[in-house]
Amino acid sequence: MRSLLLLCLFAFIVPSAAASEGVQLFPSEFVLDSSESRQRLLLQEFDGAEIGGQLRDEIQWASSNPDVAAVINGMVRPVGNGKATITATTAGRTATAKVTVGKLDEPLEFTFSEHLVPLLAKQGCNTGACHGAVAGKGGFRLSLRGYDPQSDYFNIVKQDRGRRIELADPGRSLLLAKPSGGIAHKGGLRFEPGSLDYKIIAQWITAGAKPPSDHDPRVEALEILPPRSSQKVGDQQQFVVMARYDNGDRRDVTRWVIWSSSNEAVGRVDEENGEATVVGPGEGAIVAWFDSHITLARLTVPFVQSKELSEQPIDRREPRNFIDEHVDRHLARLNLPASGNCSDGEFIRRAYVDTIGCLPTAEEVTQFLEDPAPDKRDRLIDALLARPEYVDYWTYKWSDILMLNGRLLRPQAIQAYYKWIHGHVEQNTPWDEFVSEILTATGSSHENGATNFYALHQTPEEMVENSSQAFLGLSIGCAKCHNHPLEKWTNDQYYAAANMFSRVKAKGWGGEPRNGNGLRTLYTASSGELVQPRTGKPQQPAPLDGEPIAFDDPGDRRGPFAQAITSPENPYFARAIANRVWANYYGVGLIESVDDLRTSNPASNEELLGAAAQFVVDSKFDLKPLMREILRSNAYQRTSRPLPGNKTEERFYSRYYPRRMMAEVLHDAIVKVTDVPTKFDFVEFDGADRQKTDFYPLGTRAIELYDSAVENYFLRSFGRNPRGIVCECERSSQPTMVQALHISNGNTINEKLKAPDSRVMKLLADRKEGLCDDALLDRIFLTSLARYPSDQERTQLAGLLPAPGAEEERIVLEDIFWGVMSSREFLFNH
Amino acid sequence: MLKFEGRGKTVTCGGVTRRDFLQVGTLGAIGLSLPHYLAAQAAGAIEPDKQDRSCIMIFNLGAPSQLDTFDMKPEAPAEVRGPFKPIATKVPGLQISEILPKHAALADKFSLVRSVQHGGAAVHDAGWQIMQTGRLFSGGVNTPHVGSAVGYLRGRKTDLPPFVVLPELMGRGGGNLPNGQAGGFLGKGHDPFSLNANPAQANFQVPDLLPPQAIDTVRLDRRRKIRDLVDQTADRFEASENAALLDSNFEAAFRLMTSPQARNAFNLSKEPQQVRERYGMNRFGQCCLLARRLIENGVRFVTINTFLTVFDEITWDIHGSKPFTSIEGMKNIVAPMYDQGYSALIEDLDQRGLLDSTLVCNLAEFGRTPRVNPAGGRDHWPQCFTVYFAGGGIQGGRVVGASDPVGAVPAERPVGPPEVVATIYRSLGFDLETKLPGPAGRPFPLVDYGHHDIHELF
Repeated sequence: MRSLLLLCLFAFIVPSAAASEGVQLFPSEFVLDSSESRQRLLLQEFDGAEIGGQLRDEIQWASSNPDVAAVINGMVRPVGNGKATITATTAGRTATAKVTVGKLDEPLEFTFSEHLVPLLAKQGCNTGACHGAVAGKGGFRLSLRGYDPQSDYFNIVKQDRGRRIELADPGRSLLLAKPSGGIAHKGGLRFEPGSLDYKIIAQWITAGAKPPSDHDPRVEALEILPPRSSQKVGDQQQFVVMARYDNGDRRDVTRWVIWSSSNEAVGRVDEENGEATVVGPGEGAIVAWFDSHITLARLTVPFVQSKELSEQPIDRREPRNFIDEHVDRHLARLNLPASGNCSDGEFIRRAYVDTIGCLPTAEEVTQFLEDPAPDKRDRLIDALLARPEYVDYWTYKWSDILMLNGRLLRPQAIQAYYKWIHGHVEQNTPWDEFVSEILTATGSSHENGATNFYALHQTPEEMVENSSQAFLGLSIGCAKCHNHPLEKWTNDQYYAAANMFSRVKAKGWGGEPRNGNGLRTLYTASSGELVQPRTGKPQQPAPLDGEPIAFDDPGDRRGPFAQAITSPENPYFARAIANRVWANYYGVGLIESVDDLRTSNPASNEELLGAAAQFVVDSKFDLKPLMREILRSNAYQRTSRPLPGNKTEERFYSRYYPRRMMAEVLHDAIVKVTDVPTKFDFVEFDGADRQKTDFYPLGTRAIELYDSAVENYFLRSFGRNPRGIVCECERSSQPTMVQALHISNGNTINEKLKAPDSRVMKLLADRKEGLCDDALLDRIFLTSLARYPSDQERTQLAGLLPAPGAEEERIVLEDIFWGVMSSREFLFNH
Repeated sequence: MLKFEGRGKTVTCGGVTRRDFLQVGTLGAIGLSLPHYLAAQAAGAIEPDKQDRSCIMIFNLGAPSQLDTFDMKPEAPAEVRGPFKPIATKVPGLQISEILPKHAALADKFSLVRSVQHGGAAVHDAGWQIMQTGRLFSGGVNTPHVGSAVGYLRGRKTDLPPFVVLPELMGRGGGNLPNGQAGGFLGKGHDPFSLNANPAQANFQVPDLLPPQAIDTVRLDRRRKIRDLVDQTADRFEASENAALLDSNFEAAFRLMTSPQARNAFNLSKEPQQVRERYGMNRFGQCCLLARRLIENGVRFVTINTFLTVFDEITWDIHGSKPFTSIEGMKNIVAPMYDQGYSALIEDLDQRGLLDSTLVCNLAEFGRTPRVNPAGGRDHWPQCFTVYFAGGGIQGGRVVGASDPVGAVPAERPVGPPEVVATIYRSLGFDLETKLPGPAGRPFPLVDYGHHDIHELF
């Protein structure tokens, strides 16, 4: 399915007609099949590979046969049945498009679902603020953006004794008179009498206000033109949307499209007419919604450099792997310079933090820095991927998504759930198997920890929503009540997918988080359906975009659901996990946020994400090879020091983006530097309620905790994921003032520095034994920052240290530790 | 990356990382914020003359009985009307309960809404959530507290944070649900600054506000210098917004630690003893006093939790039996303390000329059962209860809505949580259609479409 999608994408980039003179008309071929049909043509720069900006001025338009089609300013209008060629000429360059005009002799007919519903959506009639509200408006209710044409028809034509429609005198119908200003309308004037929209409604009423029928053409797909283009800041670009119907028709529906921009810093779009203005450099997308379908056009806008890239200290290393090939190509397209190779010190600290969630020791740092071998980074990468801390770190990451939370599950269940995940990460179970095992889990929550996924999500609706969210990065909750207004998911698809879980049952612990043993036995029944409330009947079960299952099939429906989700053909599954892994290392997902893979939220580098997802599929869902490629890439190994030309960008990997370490990793870093562990002995509930836990012996790192409810002020205030919902977004890496106050005055760093057996004490003892100040400072800096102090730091800090044994010695040393640990360089991974 | 929406604009917020929205006002250092703020203003999201208004929300944990406080039913049978008598107030024709005499004396300052109801469950947590945010949480959509939204949209005014909760965040309510006292989908960066201390305590201090005793100014200075020294060495953070935010947080924290204004704001010992006593030498009274000091020093929104939890504490939660409160407990302990603290706050704000620019709203999670239960108390009742407002453009002495003869359901003008929340936003000068970035970029208006403020109050 993905390959098909990609194919479609590229099919539009290379238009069918040859671009002879550097310009191209879009669409290059079209049909006009009624007297009201219109086609807007776009003349674009086109070099044979990439579409450029739109040519808008001083264009001569001509029709080869004015008796068939007429053209004014790029708008083509039918005149008589037949074929013609439209030519656009500008500054001596020409491009052509072919038009076929037909059916002009047939009577004009507008249908409810094909014409009226999109029109009402475009006019805003069925939005949440107007008649699309759950309670309707002024006693008149429409389904949100027209997801339910049957009920809309009833409410328009039948409800309130049919007062909204006057068959005998269409103009007196409330449906026409109100929005066109004939009768007072709280929603104001929506369209003028005589406008096309007015005509469509009038014509439909005149023809008998016929109901929607199964024979009405349905939209199969939308095409947007130009689908991808390179533009300059200040450019204007009109977009055109063609709808393809299941009866083979294809027509320009631009005037009824609802427009939005995915990135307003790059392009803005006029909501009325689909004309975009390019406002800034980067990658943007213009999103078009029509009749519950969605498509988008991508915009690439190169950065403007004050100096040519050839004159900048740009990273000129050869691509290390496919990642670099894609990143480098994209940077070139965007005219962005790349920062150079990071130092070994930068690399070792970064690679440790990103791969295993802890700082390297001073010994590990010096060993690495002194190793002359050219392949030492590659060897370090392989060693890190094999470390036991790797297992703890990634178990913790997956525990965020799988919601291991002591406020929701009992301790024994949490422990079983954790051990299940830990075991699989340790065995390096392929991601598709891992997810399948969760989705199809049965049995005791103490023996098969994976079943706790279903202890957290106990209704079919929660199960489908949360498994889509966790494993596909899709939030389908909107479709529970109405077609997803921003996406393609329909209300029926939602209930079809939810019905895949209608037979999941359990005995035992019911979900009371403060009490009970959490023992719950999960099984599936051989009957039972979930009713779709809109129809009052069960929806035939089917995975999202998957094959329906027979109602009477007695098998566990979760099997086919898991298969559909984890299939290499699933257009979201491999992308979702590739993107999560990517975001862990680069700090910024190719799609941001990683929980949000909606169509209308495109990747910053679609080709790269496609390649990374394909790489995961080719690696049979073993995630380590992708991690290895990421860690080896030049893109990962760039310095975080920006160049003048890439300072402002944070999406295209021209440098490494510094970020505050995640709460647990930062906590463990403080423990490592001070050498004083933290006690974790309570699980806290809302309020002052807490329960003792003996799961964590002294020395347990924060990253080894099973549970997000373990009491710890530091972790809470530094934004650990509270695991209340399936979302990485619950974690915050944002620095807050509470954190700054805590570092300054709170008990975590201060108490640890003061502790009798802290590293401060050990260094003091060593100093007494003759450790020189240079070596002492080296030890502090290597442990905390994976580097030696600079000359300036060395001189100034040594100057602060009193003579060994002096009264002030200890507090000065504490202050040096504090100064280092409160620095950006310590708190951030960079 | 910030987006604001104002009147007549519809914008989707796709692609915005909701956790990383930066507070507008904190970002002087980063420089990006001001234009967004101005853009929001230009788009009509903010009414300029009201942008310096503040709000004190007093949240009555436990939920007062409407029938024993502001919506007395002297004509009803004994088991409904309860043990207390109505008394006349400063407003002719308006009567309230004899247990709130100081309220009665300043009834011209506040206005009652006697017909509030909500459809949430009759558990404390659900009521806390819906009344402080305007929405019941569902499907992972946790609407921010009004104060968080205000902080998000306007940022901080001075050294002090924009939204402070006194004395600490709400505790256990029994339902194990989020209580709505957080930044919700706006992210942790917009959680309130919680005092986490009892201002009535003898040596009251803000936790982590002041350095530990052992760290004197010499050490503080040395620590800063070392931090600066290390920060100078690493030159790679110049383009990082979060690093800039960290720096500005350290600066803000340091300002808070050292700024006379901030330290002064939290320093209750600066108040003359008779003022402190006028508010009541108890946690609630001193919170009211501290709230006034914070507002004076530029905090935009203060929420006072009248109690911390409904368990093992004498509160408004008068089920009549342990571990809850008896009706006498309310009369003898809760009401006098509350009456004193509130009346002192209103009088003090008024005397200082701050009442017009400060909205004081008194909310609760629900009301209580019309019929007295066998234990002599009353149980939870979200179907009808009273909230009240003063200051911030509210006309005092009014009564909006009415309950039926036994205080069980609204008889006229039913008001829901969105209307209550909308009233706060309106008083502070916000357009109700201003959008906040929800989960997955879904835009949420401050108040759901179709809900308006309680216009009769203005």
